[in-house]
Amino acid sequence: MLCTHCNNKEATFHCKTVSNGKTTEMHLCSECAHELGFAEKYSDIFGDGMNVNSIINQFFALSGKKPAVDNMLKCPECGIDFKRFNSTGLLGCDKCYDVFAEAVETMMQRTQGAIVHNGKISGPDSEEIKKQNEISKLKSELQKAILEEKYEDAAKLRDSIKALEKGERADG
Amino acid sequence: MAKWYCGEGFQDDIVLSTRVRLARNLKGIPFPNCMSDEDAQKVISTVEDALSKLNYKFRLIRLSDITDVERQRLMEEHFISPQMLKEPAKKAVFLSEDEAVAIMINEEDHIRLQCIYAGEESEKAYNLISKIDDFLGETVQYAFHRKYGHLTACPTNVGTGMRLSFMLHLPALCMARMADNLFAAVGKLGVTVRGMYGEGTKSSGYVFQISNQTTLGKSETELAQNVTDVVNQIIAKEREVRRRIAKDKGVSLEDKIMRSYGIMKYAKKISTEELTGLLSNVRFGASLGIIENVSASTLNEIMVVTRPAHIMETGTETGEERDVKRAEVIKTLLNKKEE
Repeated sequence: MLCTHCNNKEATFHCKTVSNGKTTEMHLCSECAHELGFAEKYSDIFGDGMNVNSIINQFFALSGKKPAVDNMLKCPECGIDFKRFNSTGLLGCDKCYDVFAEAVETMMQRTQGAIVHNGKISGPDSEEIKKQNEISKLKSELQKAILEEKYEDAAKLRDSIKALEKGERADG
Repeated sequence: MAKWYCGEGFQDDIVLSTRVRLARNLKGIPFPNCMSDEDAQKVISTVEDALSKLNYKFRLIRLSDITDVERQRLMEEHFISPQMLKEPAKKAVFLSEDEAVAIMINEEDHIRLQCIYAGEESEKAYNLISKIDDFLGETVQYAFHRKYGHLTACPTNVGTGMRLSFMLHLPALCMARMADNLFAAVGKLGVTVRGMYGEGTKSSGYVFQISNQTTLGKSETELAQNVTDVVNQIIAKEREVRRRIAKDKGVSLEDKIMRSYGIMKYAKKISTEELTGLLSNVRFGASLGIIENVSASTLNEIMVVTRPAHIMETGTETGEERDVKRAEVIKTLLNKKEE
């Protein structure tokens, strides 16, 4: 039987509700059941409820691409492997973010809806990072200006980018 | 100085407290879930050194130096989280002199800066915590990534590391059975709603915690503005329903509220569970003007200082002794404020 929600996948979740003498039946595939919130409601059927592990696995499963991460991939700095990250949801050190970048970004995209920081900047390189961010912002504006054939704006943007980049060389 | 729960704040008849926290880690040291005892001590002493250079004074409390009950007490005051009770040897908290700021060390992240005030005081709380964060960020080396921002043990906190949460008392919306629909609607706006004691627990006494869902991709100001906007909408709805209830309240609501007030003032034994319901009714009654002379700060104080560890610290042993002591404490606080 096909899922009555997406009409695409095999239904694996069947629910019959009797309310005021009226019976309604639902047949859903596991993805739609998750999407419609049945996973939370009937967490006992779906396994061990809402622990971090199952949530992460869900994210990877739902996003359609389980990142091609080797379970044995290990952070050389703190020694935690992908398997452990996958089961606890926690990374071991700052290096892990680069080692497990693909999985981490998939998770961020699902939970945070973004992968790039846009807030306060800390650390010794903060001025440099602010400048780089400003430059990449101007560059994307420049692209847009060119596409929209606003050449006067584009020229101004190009000059600002040059000025910023020059400053960078003078500093460095 | 007055603790947060003895203070007053904007809209404190609905907003019990505002809390903002920033999650930070030190560069080059494994995160707490992976760290050695030595690493843990290094984080504590690094932060201690840095804070000693600040004008705003902090007191260091190592969790291994205090008793179980004292740790529990700090948790009841919301200065530390339940997670801080595990592996106390690695953990510490820096409490500011005015007790508005608590910095948890080696919880899920090395540093969790948090500020708590009664009422809706998000700007005041964020400004204070951000200043301390700026100072720390210049003094120690944070784990900061060009693309991802402030790195945290769990990627769900990465970026700003900021969680702004409000504790709201919403009896009218609950009684009118509007709360569930409202929460389902605001869930789509990037905020999370929880029962009072954090994740997983059923809400009790119509108290809910509302906070931002995400920490990455937007600036601190945008994230804060979003939760604050949602909270203000919820407050407006709650007020609207309160006004309607106040208009045709009928004698049974008034009776329920005055009975609760009567129990709080005169009963000889009160358990924590019973008090949760009583406090909710009396808080509602005070806000509607049915009960006079009882301020939100008195009720907040009662809510915190009657919790088990606070009562245990007075030397009570059995459950019954604690319930008797609790009733006495409530009576004293209510009478003190009425004079």
